[in-house]
Amino acid sequence: MKIVPTIGMETHVELKTNSKMFCRCNVVETDKPNENLCPTCLGLPGSLPVPNKRAIEFITLLALSTKCQITTDGMFHRKNYFYPDLPKNYQISQFDLPVGTEGSLEIVVNGEFSTVEIERVHMEEDTGKSTHIGSGRIDSATSTHLDFNRAGIPLVEVVTKPLIKSSKEAVSYIEELRQLVIDLDISEGKLEKGNLRFDANISVAYENDDELGTKVEIKNMNSLRSLEKAIEYEISRQTKMLNNNETIIQETRHWDEKKEVTSSMRSKEGSADYRYFSDPDIPNMILSKDFIDKIKNNMPVLPSEKRNTFINSGLSIEDANSIGKSPKWMGELYKSVSDITNDSKTTFNWITGELQGQLRKLGETSPPEWMTAEQLAEIISLVKNDKISFTSGKEILAELIEEKINPEEYAISNKLIQENDTEEISKMVKEIIKENSEVLERIANGEEKLIGFLVGQVIKLSNGKVNPSVAKELLLKEIK
Amino acid sequence: MTDKIDIKNVAKLAALKLTTEEENKLEKDLSMIIDHFAALSEMNLPDEKISIHPLGTPLDLADDEAIIFLSHEEALSNAPESSDGQFVVPPSLD
Amino acid sequence: MNHYKLSISEINKLFKDKKLKPSELYSEVFERAANTESIIHGHLTLFQDENIKKAADADKRYENGTELGILDGIPIAIKDNINIAGYATTCSSQMLSNYISPYDATVITKLKDEGVMFTGKTNLDEFAMGSSTENSAFGPTKNPWDPSRVPGGSSGGSAAVVSAGSAIASLGSDTGGSIRQPASFCGVVGFKPTYGTVSRFGLVAFASSLDQIGPITNNVEDSKILFNSMKGFDPFDATSGKESKTKQPKLKNAKIGIIKELMEDGISEDAKLEVQKVAKLLESQGHEIVEVSLPLTKMSISIYYLIAPAECSANLSRFDGVRYGNRVAGNTSYEMMENTRAEGFGPEVKKRILLGTYALSAGYYDAFYGQALKARAMMKKEFTETYKEVDYLISPTTPSDPFKFGEKSDNQLEMYMSDLCTIPANLVGMPAISIPTGLSSNGLPLSVQIMSPANTDNTLLEFSQKLESVVSFTSLPEIKGGVS
Repeated sequence: MKIVPTIGMETHVELKTNSKMFCRCNVVETDKPNENLCPTCLGLPGSLPVPNKRAIEFITLLALSTKCQITTDGMFHRKNYFYPDLPKNYQISQFDLPVGTEGSLEIVVNGEFSTVEIERVHMEEDTGKSTHIGSGRIDSATSTHLDFNRAGIPLVEVVTKPLIKSSKEAVSYIEELRQLVIDLDISEGKLEKGNLRFDANISVAYENDDELGTKVEIKNMNSLRSLEKAIEYEISRQTKMLNNNETIIQETRHWDEKKEVTSSMRSKEGSADYRYFSDPDIPNMILSKDFIDKIKNNMPVLPSEKRNTFINSGLSIEDANSIGKSPKWMGELYKSVSDITNDSKTTFNWITGELQGQLRKLGETSPPEWMTAEQLAEIISLVKNDKISFTSGKEILAELIEEKINPEEYAISNKLIQENDTEEISKMVKEIIKENSEVLERIANGEEKLIGFLVGQVIKLSNGKVNPSVAKELLLKEIK
Repeated sequence: MTDKIDIKNVAKLAALKLTTEEENKLEKDLSMIIDHFAALSEMNLPDEKISIHPLGTPLDLADDEAIIFLSHEEALSNAPESSDGQFVVPPSLD
Repeated sequence: MNHYKLSISEINKLFKDKKLKPSELYSEVFERAANTESIIHGHLTLFQDENIKKAADADKRYENGTELGILDGIPIAIKDNINIAGYATTCSSQMLSNYISPYDATVITKLKDEGVMFTGKTNLDEFAMGSSTENSAFGPTKNPWDPSRVPGGSSGGSAAVVSAGSAIASLGSDTGGSIRQPASFCGVVGFKPTYGTVSRFGLVAFASSLDQIGPITNNVEDSKILFNSMKGFDPFDATSGKESKTKQPKLKNAKIGIIKELMEDGISEDAKLEVQKVAKLLESQGHEIVEVSLPLTKMSISIYYLIAPAECSANLSRFDGVRYGNRVAGNTSYEMMENTRAEGFGPEVKKRILLGTYALSAGYYDAFYGQALKARAMMKKEFTETYKEVDYLISPTTPSDPFKFGEKSDNQLEMYMSDLCTIPANLVGMPAISIPTGLSSNGLPLSVQIMSPANTDNTLLEFSQKLESVVSFTSLPEIKGGVS
């Protein structure tokens, strides 16, 4: 019987507000530990939380853009557990009345559309940072150092329903969510900085089983690559166990980046009874129709809308998805250039291939400011109309990245314009044949690769202006 | 309420280390109080949306304007142990 | 002449008329403290030396006519669960015996702006949990009227120092009666404002939905002055309220309800007689007295002892020895926290943390905490309905006069019952005041409590001022061993 996996994702998105979630301490990157603190985020006696308006606007924006229902009379809850990086030993979070519920997000997997169901979108606060001092392993640490700069930074937790079917789908989902928070301008969205942190809940079951298998939570996946590998590893581990009739236990497992395996985490002392209750320091949060409408009316273009525009311009779903997740300038440049060239695929290839490649080699993240869509369209057209060779096009592009030039003028002055006039080329071909009777003989005797030599001679004669394919075609005609 | 209070588990949740003597006394004291709650627990009360603020006042969200409150030195001034500007505790296990 | 029993406005007039200087009053109050504190133990710390310069500054302001307001130069004591920057905030707990607050509570900032001088920090039941100050880790406070009796609690120190005259007034905090009950036991005025009118920022939380800071004073007018200087919305406290327009109760020909449930079992004859005496006085002033029934009042102890411990179980989680507090070593951080909390907290605090943890734990939430929330909401409705019929409610403040040390410490439920009359105001959020009105058969102070609808604080205070003048309670304690 076929065994199928089921995956649910829990993602924490760090919001880019000026101040923390429940106090007005600065949210800035600093190397200095314990710099941005106040009685509230340090959990001093007598301090109180006051929620950040912008954070609530941001989460509402995210909830609306994932088609969630908005809880208009919500509240905050305390999640109680003891851990030294949690200043109050409870985290202010949301329990049964999160800001958003029952939403969905359209994603692209293997060139096709798919939908991820969102269960909830809720607001909470981050913890401090622990550094374990000692031999490098948690188990043998001699002490733990605590920096609370991160404590209290607003986090949105996005929880999907357990309906994701593969590691690829999970990765695509994270990519889409990342693009969404970047386009909404609510988070830096940098995985390497921990702006987006995700855990996966994975279970396996026989395909015709009504019930889901026992879920295992996987933590510590720091990149999309490790997410994909960890899910695949875990699915195969659980599948083997199910095949061998072994019992899968509900637990949290840790992804080991080096060994590429998941391993059981030592469970925290005490059972996980978080004793959620409504935080008496924070009154009910009423989100008025005005508040929600204002956010709705200022909604930026969403990644899915952007993607549809690209599809409508003629790109495949895959390409449209890819350019939508590229740096912003690429999508914009693509749109302007393809409007001129009327050739979506070629434009896409030039921008995502040649241009991005050359920039990357130079260590640049975006094209020079003087580069215009017209210039790029001109290069593309010159190549497309066989006025210049592809190689010359690349050369002109490289030059354009270096300095402000006019592509056509550059092509002319550098004699890159190809001769496409067959009559002219025929004359040159005949001349070359006349001069190379020996070579012709050898070709007749089977040394066919010498045709290339003759093509080269024609190009030389023309000072490089001849379109090589035209020259070859005419040469072959003459020889036969 | 007929349930016996599991004092060991409750103490663990509350991160309170109790002596056996304390456990016995507290178990007795708490049971007595919990028994006193029986009349309330058995009342039939309507299920209504609870207002967190006793007066029903809704939340006023704060503007996202950062301020500086404590200096680094003030933040660490009461630390039982610190090193390199960080609070230090015995090893914490995940 | 002694000045420490004068009203704030009388003192202010003497200051302005240059008949008394703030520094002179200050010396007098500290001399009074020197004579009484060894018996009363109301202050945990006295800020004597550091105030010499402040008193001299206040002198100058009055000389130059640049005084900051009616509270300029007035010595006021602060309960030691309210943070003053640079000073210890111990909450009468071993846990915080060395903790120095790096910031001011909002009420402290406000009073500093008015030129108030702080006499020091006053004793309380550990983390404000108790009704006698017997739960203080630093020894109990004695009742100035009879040192063999408790001053009440948890703001026992704040009530005792006003009664004894070692401060002109004080601040307390009231979660279930912690201002009013000790004020009653010490024969002074105690006022718990409407929930949220005074910022809680900087008050070490016991039960966030019930806690409220308020004044303890020699007379109602002083309470009114202090309340109005402290009240107002605070951006650091999301539960603090902006002033809202509310229909005010009547000052003349008012209708006053005696709460039937607070005149029954468990209330002493003395206490009942006191309410009846005051009711007659009110009637003679043209008010109408009626009996009202608020059945859920009978449940208030149960509701309170579920909600308050549940909230406190989380509020006190932060005391773990990580960032502050007296750390007790352990091999792991969890062990360190467990040991720190085991040694830092006293028995009553542990009991309430465990009770609250239990009430919130899996499987018990609905029967206990959830049920208490529903009952609280119902109780609020009962009061709202009743206030449609009456302007004020009246009851004893305490079921009896002050009890003796040890008398109730072995019977927890009886101890909890001493808050029976005061708890409803916290559960409902309404203002309540305790006014001394007479002496019991033991010669100890008795008080009545008057309550009014939420956000009618100043009307309640004005009404109480009128009652106070009719009652004219002028008895003062004679502190044996001290200089009276």
